[in-house]
Amino acid sequence: MMTQTIALLVDAYRELCAKKLFWITMILSVLVVAAFAMVGINEKGLTFLWFQIPADAFGVTLTSETLPRGLLYRFMFANLAVPFWLSWVAIVLGLISTAGMIPDLIQSGTIEAVLSRPIGRVRLLLTKFIGGLLFMALQVAVFSLLAFLVIAIRGGSLAWEVFLAVPIVVAMFSYLFAICVLLGMITRSTIAALLLTLLVWCVIFIINMGDAIAVSAHEQTKSQLRVEVARLERMERNATLAILNDLNEERTAEGQEPLESYEPTDEELTTRDIRIAPKRVEIEEIESGERLAQKWRTGIYLGKTVLPKTQETIGLLDRWTVDQEAIREIGGPLPEDDTQRARAEGQQATEDAYENRPLWWILGTSFLFEAFILGIAVIIFKRRDF
Amino acid sequence: MSDAVVSIQDIQKRYGGFGKKVHALRGVSMDVPRGSIFGLLGPNGAGKSTLVKILITAVKRSGGTGTLLGQPIGRKDALTRVGYLPEHHNLPKHLTGRQVIEFFGAMGKMGRADRKKRADELLDLVRMRDWHDKKVGGYSKGMRQRIGIAQALVADPDLVILDEPTDGVDPVGRRDIRMVLQQMRDEGRTVFINSHLLGELEMVCDTVGIMHKGRVVSMGTIESLTEGMLRYEVEVEGELEAAGSLFGRALPEAFGRGQSTLPPPTQGLAPPTGTGLARRVGMVGELATGESVEVHGNRLWIGTTHAGTIQPVLDAIRAKGGVIKEVRTHRPSLEDLFMQAVADDDSPGAAQGREGTRP
Repeated sequence: MMTQTIALLVDAYRELCAKKLFWITMILSVLVVAAFAMVGINEKGLTFLWFQIPADAFGVTLTSETLPRGLLYRFMFANLAVPFWLSWVAIVLGLISTAGMIPDLIQSGTIEAVLSRPIGRVRLLLTKFIGGLLFMALQVAVFSLLAFLVIAIRGGSLAWEVFLAVPIVVAMFSYLFAICVLLGMITRSTIAALLLTLLVWCVIFIINMGDAIAVSAHEQTKSQLRVEVARLERMERNATLAILNDLNEERTAEGQEPLESYEPTDEELTTRDIRIAPKRVEIEEIESGERLAQKWRTGIYLGKTVLPKTQETIGLLDRWTVDQEAIREIGGPLPEDDTQRARAEGQQATEDAYENRPLWWILGTSFLFEAFILGIAVIIFKRRDF
Repeated sequence: MSDAVVSIQDIQKRYGGFGKKVHALRGVSMDVPRGSIFGLLGPNGAGKSTLVKILITAVKRSGGTGTLLGQPIGRKDALTRVGYLPEHHNLPKHLTGRQVIEFFGAMGKMGRADRKKRADELLDLVRMRDWHDKKVGGYSKGMRQRIGIAQALVADPDLVILDEPTDGVDPVGRRDIRMVLQQMRDEGRTVFINSHLLGELEMVCDTVGIMHKGRVVSMGTIESLTEGMLRYEVEVEGELEAAGSLFGRALPEAFGRGQSTLPPPTQGLAPPTGTGLARRVGMVGELATGESVEVHGNRLWIGTTHAGTIQPVLDAIRAKGGVIKEVRTHRPSLEDLFMQAVADDDSPGAAQGREGTRP
């Protein structure tokens, strides 16, 4: 049994090696890591080759003191190389390279020769699927190794965690490749399978964008609400104190004992400070909007639950490889101004919301989706006459 | 255990549904003898490839039973001992010839060392030793066919199924392939060939089956199928009209005693066309000794292979002034058999018979 599996995987490897795109992707990966290595940091700021970039060129002070070299390269790896290169460009190139695997397998003249051997259809299809994942595994493994070397040599630290990119990026690729396998099985066309997979990915991306907007809006609203409620409370407190002072002045003039405290009526408060009533309306509107947004957010979340979590899966790398607290410290303390502070807190809360999404939800439901899609492909493959 | 490597009964295959069903196979039964070369013939759409694909599990049957090397059809275990070359095969172009052979060896569960050894043997057998390390994508059609045959043989199979093995191969390549087929038979393997090239099959097949419209219409050894169809042909000099008259005068009794026992001439059996031919075809009769005679232009067909029987006929022709140009024995070709079987199956009577017995 293993003989057949190994033969299929070796064949998949040879097939990939025979594709020019495999080597083009590999060379591009090397160039990306090389560009990576050209960035440096010293006490004056960032460097690119022999050019010095001012420390405050990006809005925050970036020097070797505020951002240790090891952390710089880890940050670049997790926040630039992985999200932009590995999770977009390399995956698109990977899909282009592997989209033909199933249509090629099931084409007349090929499939009969394979099926005439003592191998079950389920094992054949699943081994082919794993063979397709080899493309991404090899690409990411080479990329991670080079990144590891750059971080070790230029950053001075051994970042073993960068190799987590291999399973994480392969997991993300596997969601899309499963879709590609199913579409290739149905359409028997490489081009159709590829284009439809990219279309599905596009839909997932749009839902992710919707989710990001919903989560960000929710967290920003929560922060804003907190600030506005605090402002209202401050206004009411000041108005109460002002009313109490006026009352005590009157009582003193009348020879009465001053009051320790006083519970003004709403009318007294809103008359005393005319900003209170509009502020209350404003808070009410924010809360009303938030209740409506909550429904949308729940809908999007449920929709995402049944779909593969491409963005969150890649986000795991950021979660596991970069010290988020250290990165936040580089940005300095939160602003003093209420509004700016609320915005910064909202942004931070948004990041935390993503960070706190459970692993079972991110990977578990994504793999369930993948298993479901592959299951359909297997059923079609098992039942089809060739 | 039966001596048939393939034994099938009433195999059926229907495609489609919702009132648009196509019957690709309408109850095929056959036994393929062990250690023989079996040829399956049939026009396009006869169901040959469907039948073969059912044997190798690429297509699922709609009905019927059967065994392949003693195991029920559909079982993967039996395929360990089966080699298969598909028609219009697409061997992996990214592999070399040797890698293709070894890959299919591995798919047949062969160990690494055995695969390598077997690949060496097969590269020599199919004369591809000099090209073994070149990518298949750069091979000619004939070279791909040779490697295709080698991959079918890699697992040392008891049964080799070849779909159009000589299609697109030059004459030298065909001869080589025929030699390989004969070598397979000599080694005790059973070879199942599916082909349109009747001449090729005729040279190597021990047994043939003829399929038409999803059914086996004729099956047996070429000798058994041609039995009763062997004949002498006597050709005389002269114009066609004169020859017809000559035969009539020489054998007045023969052509006055009714219909021939030979099957009526068909397109496959008819001699080359000529202006006077149409009138002569159908001039059939029977000798006093019971052998059938037919006039086809300036040739007389006598339904016998016994030389003594034709001597009085030759004498009678000469006696009437006829000049005998040639006397020869004729054995129907596989193409004749094929055309005959297909024509019989297409006849109204056969169609009516099918209507009554087939679903």
